[in-house]
Amino acid sequence: MNALLFLLPAFCACVVLTGIHTYLGIHVIRRGVIFVDIALAQIAALGMTIAFVFGFEPESQISYFFALGFTFLGALFFAFVRNERLHQEAIIGISFATASALSILLADKIPHGSEHLKYILSGNILWVSWPVIIKTAIIYFLLGIFHYTVRHKLMLVSTKPEEAKRRGMKIHLWDLLFYLSFGLVITSSVQIGGILLVFAFLIVPASCAILFYDRLKSLIFFGWTIGLLTSIVSIAASYWYDLPTGPTIVTLFGIALIFCFVVKKIVR
Amino acid sequence: MKQKILFLILSLLVPLNASAKLKVVTTISDLAALTQEIGGEFVEVKSIARGDQDPHYLEPKPSYAVLLSRADLLIEVGLQLETGWLPVLLTQSRNPKVQFGQPGHLSAAEGVAILEIPTGRIDRSMGDIHPEGNPHYWLNPQNGLVIASQIAQRLAQIDSAHAFDYQNNYRQFESRLKHKISEWEKKLVALKGKKIITHHKSFSYFVDWAGLQVMGLIEPKPGIPPSPGHILSLINLIEKEKIPLVITENYYDPKPSQKLAAKTGIKVLILPTSVGGEGDIKTYSELFDALIQRLAEVL
Repeated sequence: MNALLFLLPAFCACVVLTGIHTYLGIHVIRRGVIFVDIALAQIAALGMTIAFVFGFEPESQISYFFALGFTFLGALFFAFVRNERLHQEAIIGISFATASALSILLADKIPHGSEHLKYILSGNILWVSWPVIIKTAIIYFLLGIFHYTVRHKLMLVSTKPEEAKRRGMKIHLWDLLFYLSFGLVITSSVQIGGILLVFAFLIVPASCAILFYDRLKSLIFFGWTIGLLTSIVSIAASYWYDLPTGPTIVTLFGIALIFCFVVKKIVR
Repeated sequence: MKQKILFLILSLLVPLNASAKLKVVTTISDLAALTQEIGGEFVEVKSIARGDQDPHYLEPKPSYAVLLSRADLLIEVGLQLETGWLPVLLTQSRNPKVQFGQPGHLSAAEGVAILEIPTGRIDRSMGDIHPEGNPHYWLNPQNGLVIASQIAQRLAQIDSAHAFDYQNNYRQFESRLKHKISEWEKKLVALKGKKIITHHKSFSYFVDWAGLQVMGLIEPKPGIPPSPGHILSLINLIEKEKIPLVITENYYDPKPSQKLAAKTGIKVLILPTSVGGEGDIKTYSELFDALIQRLAEVL
């Protein structure tokens, strides 16, 4: 097998991830719920651990539905505990800590528990297979269509919730829709790339774009460009310099953000 | 002072054991199984790690320190296998009998021929390298004999009243195991020289004894994902050398070997490395029975 053919699935997976995560990242940053993906991923992992306690292997369908079920419960929770006095990020942090601790307690009781736990949230983009890429691409495409049709309303709820409320929109319901679709994406993405990589894809392209643009369309196209260029460079670098691919991508995403900061300073 | 009171309360919570049995604590279940063979009715053996846990890493629990605080003898694998968690537990146990260098502290590695002792410069960049060599030596049954003899000597030294029984038990165990070894070696003849890939190096001693050829490792540094160059060279190697099997320790993530199988068609075998690593493996011999049978089925 030659290198190009071997690296192609990883690159295509990066394309799929960039596509939806850039858009969701803009929402996440506007809402100020930066760590919501890590919390939801941890809640999904808790679901898988519970499935494991009942004897379902992590790779099985039932385990996936456990993960999804728990993520949806988490989404429900995040949507309905919006509170003026308490910052959303506090609730997200607490959910993360509690879900992690619960998983550790459960893992202590099952064979290979703690080892199993470490691996639920780790993925390796190099191992991704074509059927998984295609399945994920279809799910994300359908979600993308949904988000495209409601983009104006959803953006209003994310950026100016008071304004949305004045217009008579049901905020909790829109929040729920957002977190549900977000949870669905995170559960699939973490399985492919692991939690660090997914976080980078979510936050970095959106952050770079927000430095330069305001309009949703420009934000998305700039974010996509940054995401794709960084993915290509990272995958090539990890091959040439013989480095683990996931951490290389995350590191270069960090550098891409610094680069954008510098360009912004110079252009001004 | 506070800590002393706390310790007093904790020790009161532990029911007093009136029996005069020698209390032996081992770090891994295989050492517990061997100690049970030698100590028989005169010892009470408990293992800290379960057979299905990775002995490199353990979540510390209060019960471990309590176990150690009441032990007469601690038997560890040594070679820095337990270095991540045992020293702290020893300090917490406040049991002078089982501290390093005491007669109540046995490193079972003494007298075993150690593999993979690194030569030259060693540093952290090489992953979780063991500077004293590969610590998974119990996976060669010949070493099992050495370990058992060590245990017998040490038990006789601390509990001289039953020294004769321990020596006697050892001789019986030795002849049983030697008999088993010759049986296993007959079965292994068919597997000699077969090429395999392993996940990491836990099976080095087993593979060395069984005469299998390890052509490559999936994760040369556990916990650090392999680079694309490494995976690609593995795939090409499997195809070129027609390697039929990859074995993974059952406490490592099976995902990488399963994905490798999906790409190349190589078979995957997930194997226990310790007594208790799977529900029905209860003795040291049963561990090798299981390993050899499972390998013979696929190779």
